[in-house]
Amino acid sequence: MIRRYWREGEPYVWASGLALSLVLLLTALLLYVVIANGIAVFWPRPLALAALGDQPAIMGEIMQREPNPATGQERLQFKIGNRDLYGLDFRWQNAGEIQTLTFPPEAYVLERMEYGNFYGFLRGFALNEPAAPGLTLKTALQSIKGDRHQRAALQKEINRQNKQVEKLQHKLAQLEYQGQGQAARALELRRAKAALETEFRQTVDRLDQVAGRLRDQKAIFVDAAGTEKAIILDEIVRYYQPNTMSMLAKTGHYLVKLHELLFAEPRESNTEGGLFPAIFGTIMLVFLMSILSFPLGVLGGIYLREYARQGVLVRMVRIAVNNLAGIPSIVYGIFGLGFFVYGIGGWVDQLFFPERLPTPTFGTGGILWASLTLGLLTVPVVIVATEEALGAIPPGIREGSQALAATKFQTLVKLLLPMASPGILTGFILAMARAAGEVAPLMITGVVKLAPALPLDTSFPFLHLDRKFMHLGFHIYDIGFQSPNVEAAKPMVYVTTLLLILIVLIMTSTAIALRNRMRKRYAIVDV
Amino acid sequence: MTPVKDAIIKIAQPQVEVEGLNLFYGDSQALHNVSLGFPAKQVTALIGPSGCGKSTLIRCINRMNDLIDHIRMEGIIRIDNENILDAKVDVIELRRRVGMVFQKWNPFPKSIYENVIYGLRIAGVRDRNLLDETVEKSLRRAALWDEVKDRLHRSAMGLSGGQMQRLCIARAIAVSPEIILMDEPCSALDPLSTTRIEELIIELKGDYTIIIVTHNMQQAARISDLTAYMYMGGLVEYGPTKQLFTNPVKKETEDYITGRFG
Amino acid sequence: MPRHLQREIENIKKKLLTMGAVAEERVSQATRSVVERDAELAQQIMKGDYEIDQMEVDIEEECLKILALHQPVAIDLRFIIAVLKINSDLERVGDLAVNIAERSAYLATSNETICMPFDFQGMATKVQQMLSASIDALVNLDTKQAHRVRAMDDKVDAMNRQMYELVKNRMPDNPEEVNCMLHSLSIGRHLERIADHATNIAEDVVYLVEAQIVRHTPESFDS
Repeated sequence: MIRRYWREGEPYVWASGLALSLVLLLTALLLYVVIANGIAVFWPRPLALAALGDQPAIMGEIMQREPNPATGQERLQFKIGNRDLYGLDFRWQNAGEIQTLTFPPEAYVLERMEYGNFYGFLRGFALNEPAAPGLTLKTALQSIKGDRHQRAALQKEINRQNKQVEKLQHKLAQLEYQGQGQAARALELRRAKAALETEFRQTVDRLDQVAGRLRDQKAIFVDAAGTEKAIILDEIVRYYQPNTMSMLAKTGHYLVKLHELLFAEPRESNTEGGLFPAIFGTIMLVFLMSILSFPLGVLGGIYLREYARQGVLVRMVRIAVNNLAGIPSIVYGIFGLGFFVYGIGGWVDQLFFPERLPTPTFGTGGILWASLTLGLLTVPVVIVATEEALGAIPPGIREGSQALAATKFQTLVKLLLPMASPGILTGFILAMARAAGEVAPLMITGVVKLAPALPLDTSFPFLHLDRKFMHLGFHIYDIGFQSPNVEAAKPMVYVTTLLLILIVLIMTSTAIALRNRMRKRYAIVDV
Repeated sequence: MTPVKDAIIKIAQPQVEVEGLNLFYGDSQALHNVSLGFPAKQVTALIGPSGCGKSTLIRCINRMNDLIDHIRMEGIIRIDNENILDAKVDVIELRRRVGMVFQKWNPFPKSIYENVIYGLRIAGVRDRNLLDETVEKSLRRAALWDEVKDRLHRSAMGLSGGQMQRLCIARAIAVSPEIILMDEPCSALDPLSTTRIEELIIELKGDYTIIIVTHNMQQAARISDLTAYMYMGGLVEYGPTKQLFTNPVKKETEDYITGRFG
Repeated sequence: MPRHLQREIENIKKKLLTMGAVAEERVSQATRSVVERDAELAQQIMKGDYEIDQMEVDIEEECLKILALHQPVAIDLRFIIAVLKINSDLERVGDLAVNIAERSAYLATSNETICMPFDFQGMATKVQQMLSASIDALVNLDTKQAHRVRAMDDKVDAMNRQMYELVKNRMPDNPEEVNCMLHSLSIGRHLERIADHATNIAEDVVYLVEAQIVRHTPESFDS
């Protein structure tokens, strides 16, 4: 009986089932951890006020409960915020020392531009004009809107003028480089530049005025212990009173935060705010990489399989390609740095932007070089997938087509490539999934913690391939390990991870759906 | 019937004429000095044991052997008095005039309609009416129209084996070739489908020159006008089918067809 | 597969040759019964006819079987066709031997004097020679032998005609011999028919070997 068991391979069936279950379990676990921690981040937690008897009271969100490792008794972790007052965000409090735990309805949570959240009570206002009685925080914030808009407009104006000056500066540098520094044109430019600079200074002055006005509008808050803090109204990004929010209000708040996550810029060294630049950078990177690696990979695969004369050379190339797919990605990064960034980039700089040297334009990391490096990483996968897909087509199809007076090219385009497309797309999906997650090579070829501008914007030439960019993968690393306040950053890590997984999932699902459609259309019944 | 005395008869005005054909795969010789003429608008069968070179021979006629590496050919093959083995010949044009049906049917994973007009599309024909007409004509000729006329735009992969082979025949005649080469078209089919296709070949006879390679001697006897017996790359006997099967000239031929060898 | 066919063909050949031997034997016996006026022998011959009939049916069935199952071509096909025809000829020869025996039975029992107006023995010997030669030609596939048989048929025909003349001339003068004459004529005719069948057999042998149907004018071949 046991012998039969072994002969039929039952134990191996069980073993493989077990292995698969294990893998699925681990994946499920990972997803659970990420989702559980990430989903709830934006849901507003109630503010708890803990009276501690003779010690000053504390107020904050209760994050965790666990037994104190020293005493064995329960202790709670409060997120107390107010980093500017306390120096730290979190605090463990033994449950035993808490006399009362209340949830005051008028407690405020303020999300700020700096120093993280503020938890406290509104006492009053300190404004340029005396506050009207019954002034609420809401109205107060509304009143500074005008100034905020003006400041934004002035900021835009400054940016524009700055860019113009830069352009003039570039032109000037070019002329100087060409030895025309004293020509009429150069003088003209200098004059224009001077005029612009004056204008620029004026705008800056106006901006300073508005900024100063804004800085003077303050609201007075007190924390749980009664310490007063004057908070500049302009610094407040968002406020809410979690203890009085209805379910609807909380959902609304959640959605607002979600929107901010996806479309706003990051704050507070990436630990708060939105991920928009990172999302944009990731998607654009994958897009550029696809444009570069897909055609190259497919054409390479086609050549190797269909056109190259099958001999020793082709076999060697094939071996080389297969091995390329296994090289660690950091090695690609180093290669990218040396060859693309310093090599080609330096050469491009010498040829096209010599006047800007020694400031590199293309001779430094940027989205172009990063895409090329990742493209190199993924090209072998696509080549192999293409070759395999083409090789799987039964030779009868080729013969049949050529017997009908089709050239090799026509056979390829009309028959072979459509039939191979499921396989090719599979390879491409794998390539994309891998590339979307690679971080190491990006770190040295163009990813930065905070990019001043997006690689695609409204200023000519619209696509700035020389710009550095942000990337979700790197973002996770940066928040998780490079931020000054790791505890505070933890939620953001989970959220970013979740987002990255979602984006990769969406990309690969689309590609898989496309591949399945192709597969159905070109299925070959066993011939 | 006056029996023919020559082992290899001479055809008066052959449409395809093979003259002194030698073919080498690398170092080994697959065809030895083969010479014979195929008459127009008739069915000629090539029989012989496995490896005797019959498939190799017909693949020379539409230059399909060009697709194989390390092949060298000497000799002449004339179609309508033009040597098609010449390097300057447009092979694509040749393959429009000389169609081929393979042993294992190879319909493309497209619709039935697209399969039939594949050759036309390749040649650049766009006129929708012409295409529709050709599809119907070819499928009727291939005795497949009634079976598929309601599902022209469904995948060809849903057909049975015999239907797929008839589809391949329809596909081949859609480009109006003059000559159709058939390499054991029925060897993978059941007897009923085989009968259908044999009837089809007999019907096509008057309009196309058909050269068929077959392992099945009864099939050769049933459908061909002339039969050639090949052995080990050489042509042993070639004559009218009736004579070859009642009173062959050469003893080797008789030994083969009576089954005393091979 | 061909070996199986070969065995079947050998089998049929043996059967046919056996039948040929039996037919020859019957003819020889019939001749003897005439000459020796042996009524008993004649009876034996008549009773034994079923044997040849049985053989004919048997051989025909074997041939049909081979045609259906083996679809023979070329020489094998011609052989089967020849066998079928020779089969039929030999059966007829057997019948003719019985016919002769019937005549002989009557002649043996009659009290009339023997009236052999012609060289019966000579003719009978020639006919037997022809039959034997044709069967030999079949055994040895000897077309020369077969052609000789065809030539001999002319002589037998001449002898038959001679006999008619003799009877015609003798009958008016010897009316009491009419009965006997008529029977003799009959016997002569039967012998002539046996000779014809032997010729057929010879012609079938030529067809088998040379694939030439020598009985009819050759058709022109169109290529």
